Amino acid sequence: MLGKIKRSIATFSLGLFLAMAMYIVPGMTSDAIAKEVFAEQVFAEEAFAKEVLAEEAVEGEGEAEIEWGQDVFYKDWEGNPLKGPVSGFPAPELGESDYNNYEFAPSRMLLWVANQQHLYFGSFVLAVPIFCMLIEFIGIRSKEEDPVMSAKYDRLAHDLMKVSLTAYSWTAILGGILLFTFITLFPGFFKYMAGIFRPVMHVYALMFLAESGVLYVYYYGWDKMKEDKFLKWIHVSLSVLLNLIGTVLMYLANSWATFMQAPGGIDADGRFLGNIWHVIHSTLWNPVGVHRILGNIVFGGGIVGAYAAYHYLTAKTEEERAHYDWVCYVAMFIAIFGLIPLPFAGYWLMKEVYAFRQQMGITLMGGIMAWLFIIQAVMIGLLFFGANSYLHNGMSRVKGSHRYMKYCKYMILLLICCFTMWMTPHTIVMTPAELKAMGGAQHPVIGHFGVMSAKNTAVNLMITTTVLCFLLYQKANKKINVPWATVGNCWISAIFVGAACNIIFLGVYGYFLPANVRVGLSVPQVTTTLTTLFAGTAINISMFKDSESYGDIQWGTQSKVGTYAIFLLAISFTWLMGLMGYIRSAVRLFWHVTEVVRDNSVDAYTLTIGEAGKMLTFNTLFVWTQFVVVFWVGSLTGKKVVSKAPEGIPVPAQQQQ
Amino acid sequence: MLPEQHDILFSFIAILFAVFGIFVFGNVIQNCREREGLNIKFWGGIFGAFAIGCFLMTVHMFDLVQADQLKFFFSTYILVVLMMLFFWGVFFKSNKIEGQSPPIIRGFFFWCTVSLLLAGYTNWLPQQRSDPPPKEAAIVGDLTMEEFAEMGRVIIFGAKQVAGQKSIGKGQCPLCHTFDPGDNMGRCPNLFGVEERSHKRIKEDRYASSPMAIGELEPASGIVKGSPTDIPEEYRRQHGPDELTGEDYLRESLMCPTCYVVTGFGKDGDTKSPMPVIVKPPISLSRVEVNAVVAYLQSKDTPGEFASVTVPLPQDDAGNTGGAIAEAPDEDEDRPVFVTGNEDIQAMINTLGCPLCHTIPGVEGAMGELGPVLHEKTNAPNRIKDPNYKGKATNTKEYVRESILNPGAYVVFNEAEGESFPDGLMPTTFGEMLSVSALEKVVDFISQTEAPAGS
Repeated sequence: MLGKIKRSIATFSLGLFLAMAMYIVPGMTSDAIAKEVFAEQVFAEEAFAKEVLAEEAVEGEGEAEIEWGQDVFYKDWEGNPLKGPVSGFPAPELGESDYNNYEFAPSRMLLWVANQQHLYFGSFVLAVPIFCMLIEFIGIRSKEEDPVMSAKYDRLAHDLMKVSLTAYSWTAILGGILLFTFITLFPGFFKYMAGIFRPVMHVYALMFLAESGVLYVYYYGWDKMKEDKFLKWIHVSLSVLLNLIGTVLMYLANSWATFMQAPGGIDADGRFLGNIWHVIHSTLWNPVGVHRILGNIVFGGGIVGAYAAYHYLTAKTEEERAHYDWVCYVAMFIAIFGLIPLPFAGYWLMKEVYAFRQQMGITLMGGIMAWLFIIQAVMIGLLFFGANSYLHNGMSRVKGSHRYMKYCKYMILLLICCFTMWMTPHTIVMTPAELKAMGGAQHPVIGHFGVMSAKNTAVNLMITTTVLCFLLYQKANKKINVPWATVGNCWISAIFVGAACNIIFLGVYGYFLPANVRVGLSVPQVTTTLTTLFAGTAINISMFKDSESYGDIQWGTQSKVGTYAIFLLAISFTWLMGLMGYIRSAVRLFWHVTEVVRDNSVDAYTLTIGEAGKMLTFNTLFVWTQFVVVFWVGSLTGKKVVSKAPEGIPVPAQQQQ
Repeated sequence: MLPEQHDILFSFIAILFAVFGIFVFGNVIQNCREREGLNIKFWGGIFGAFAIGCFLMTVHMFDLVQADQLKFFFSTYILVVLMMLFFWGVFFKSNKIEGQSPPIIRGFFFWCTVSLLLAGYTNWLPQQRSDPPPKEAAIVGDLTMEEFAEMGRVIIFGAKQVAGQKSIGKGQCPLCHTFDPGDNMGRCPNLFGVEERSHKRIKEDRYASSPMAIGELEPASGIVKGSPTDIPEEYRRQHGPDELTGEDYLRESLMCPTCYVVTGFGKDGDTKSPMPVIVKPPISLSRVEVNAVVAYLQSKDTPGEFASVTVPLPQDDAGNTGGAIAEAPDEDEDRPVFVTGNEDIQAMINTLGCPLCHTIPGVEGAMGELGPVLHEKTNAPNRIKDPNYKGKATNTKEYVRESILNPGAYVVFNEAEGESFPDGLMPTTFGEMLSVSALEKVVDFISQTEAPAGS
């Protein structure tokens, strides 16, 4: 049984990795390639447009009356702003009549709530089909080897899809509310956006139709296509199609947000320059897309984990407890798997932000948004505590884990130290007297922890500790039998000790370098952390060959602390997602579309951190209230009477599942 | 949220608590019905009262505005909910009911507690609200150079300064630049001593050729390097020498950052500046704002001393003034009159032509009669108190300064003739004829004028 689960998890990991690569690699490489080929492309476009104009000039009565505008972002191959034929109206100078409001709340808050709720649900319904695709695929692959596990995977995928179906309708309703909120409260701005994105909006609606069609066939055809092998493959192919359409949908919607933050395809007056691809494919489009896919996976994992954790707490039978304990594990595995590459997607996004406008990047990292990144640090600290707490508690139900449990307290101590360093602010608000008493804006000792050198060191050590914890979890119930076990353990120890030394050395070295050089040290630090992840995991798994088991994982014996750790992770994911979304959106400051359409409403100010925090908490509580309702609605159709087998009659293993 | 609006978070939590009150009531009734011997009326009455109380308090929350809602929530509502939880516990314990609260309730409180702690943490941090900058700085009344430089400081740093926290104004300069000696964050050059450097930089060989030669057009900004006459008309310096000055360098740095990139602070081998063009979005400074920033940069290293400032004051900024370059007037009649402040007071007053109209004690030959006699030490305080006075001065110096720069602010009554002195006779162009230092010297002198003893 252990071997089968091990193989399933290995297949599952491979599947996740491939799926992620499928999403990320094209995005990243296409961006790099696009930049290279772009010069030629725009040259060809300009040449074509000039030819057309020349022909029109010959055929017409005189010169074609087409005005040329300079793109605010795109450049030609000489580095000059790209020119395009002006094809739209200039951005409006919005006035009082372009904004409506209700008395009970500012329009901006209402739009924020509508937007955030739609995004949360959208994120969930986009993530669940990814899980279902992978889980169903693993179920098919393991059917011959282990029909019990295969059926278990299939049931899990089906259950998730059932919940997702209700959530899908809910998402559509919230989307409608968002649209009406936009149209009614910000009519002037919406008119401009609709003018630019008119064709995209129609394609989006059609894609939504396609998504709905495939989703319904996929879900309602589940049982009919379950038995026949060929039909089952068709069924799983439908999930691939579902995910592709979902991804296109998300990317189309992303283009509106990324255009607002870093526009392209228009001139300085906001006039459309005739190429809709330039408007869609603005500079932040790719990194935001990848970041959101990963974020969706993490968030989806968090929701499914919390859903399973709740059912685990309410389970009446041992089978049920074992099942939901296992689902918790799978969900957390998916969430953490998505979480690990998420910071790298974030780095990519920030790099593009800096490339677009340096002062926008600095506003985020060193300006008015900087405190929000301290809060982000706290949230990430919570995530690491939650994840480690779950792993520590999860480990305790694995036979043989007593060998490693003694290390947990040291890992927690290290996490606390790193977390404290990670959340130490660079400067804080002080009275002049306090400032004088401290001898400057930074504390003479603690102030050293406020800079990026310390923070990069802290977070890399935290990730490395979590990786170590995961490796110990993996080998908790295994008695290693390979002849090179000692060498392997030495290698793993050497990798982790070496990594810690290197991370700390680079962190300290950073204090002796100027800021602009110091930034570059984050690359070798992150590389070191990744080395522990990949090399450590590879050696660890290699050592499992011919290993003996101390016993199966005792599913259904997860402690309450571990279960609440999953709740903590789910809350943290939700809150953090809202926070980062707010930061990304609020960095536009007083612009609807950066540098093009100014926000002239009474709500154009940037909120205080406290106000923003309250809104984030409200959004978190509100969306989870809705999730509870959606899960309850989803469960109404699934309540079956469990028929108990009479005592003394043996029950086949498949039916026990 | 505005103060007169509801607090969206605590209004929502009030609703959740009302639902929770109903849930607890239902749970108690259900337990009473399932078990014999429990006093359903007693327990139902208690928890029914709690449920109704929660409902009424939730309704009351919507009668209040933000601050009052918070006060009510934490002083009353939360206590009632805690009491309800306590009684619920008593109900379970006294009746020996196991199982107690279902996981959904424990999850709900866990969820609320963690989320509210996060919200509390964000409210514990320093709060700074950032209002959008005005589209253009408003000029109210006449400004002194000190006030004009202060306007530049506000554009750079914002109106509010909080100790220990970097404050950033419309110009967003402190995001990258530092201003104090020895302070260097590594993003962009430290601007301490920039006024002095501005005069030297334009003479450096590197300036002439890197990253582009003088006379070349920088496409992103549309500025021709080192050519003040090619600056867009609305920003152009219209007076002063034809050659490049320190003021031109500062203006060019703002309007065309890539025209010259300080070594080590540029991109692509110091050929491009990361700084935005300051007169274009998102910063979009107007001419007056650019001049105010230049005035601040020229004067910030010499507090209280504005002699190095060469940009014109905005009230003189009718489009025909500019570099108040301190150079001695020559004999060329076509050259506009300009007083630098280096002359003696007699020469200054004569150059300006004051004696033609005014009688000024202490100035030889100043016996003019077209304007009032200048006995300002004694007259000015009385004129400020005059009900007909519409100016803004509060003391003698301010009154004299105002009279020079804006003569129409108060027209003196000619008691000998029984009518006011003619309005509009006195020129309004003294602002462009005086350097800041010269103006202050003239003001100081005139403020002390009084009738000779015994007259």
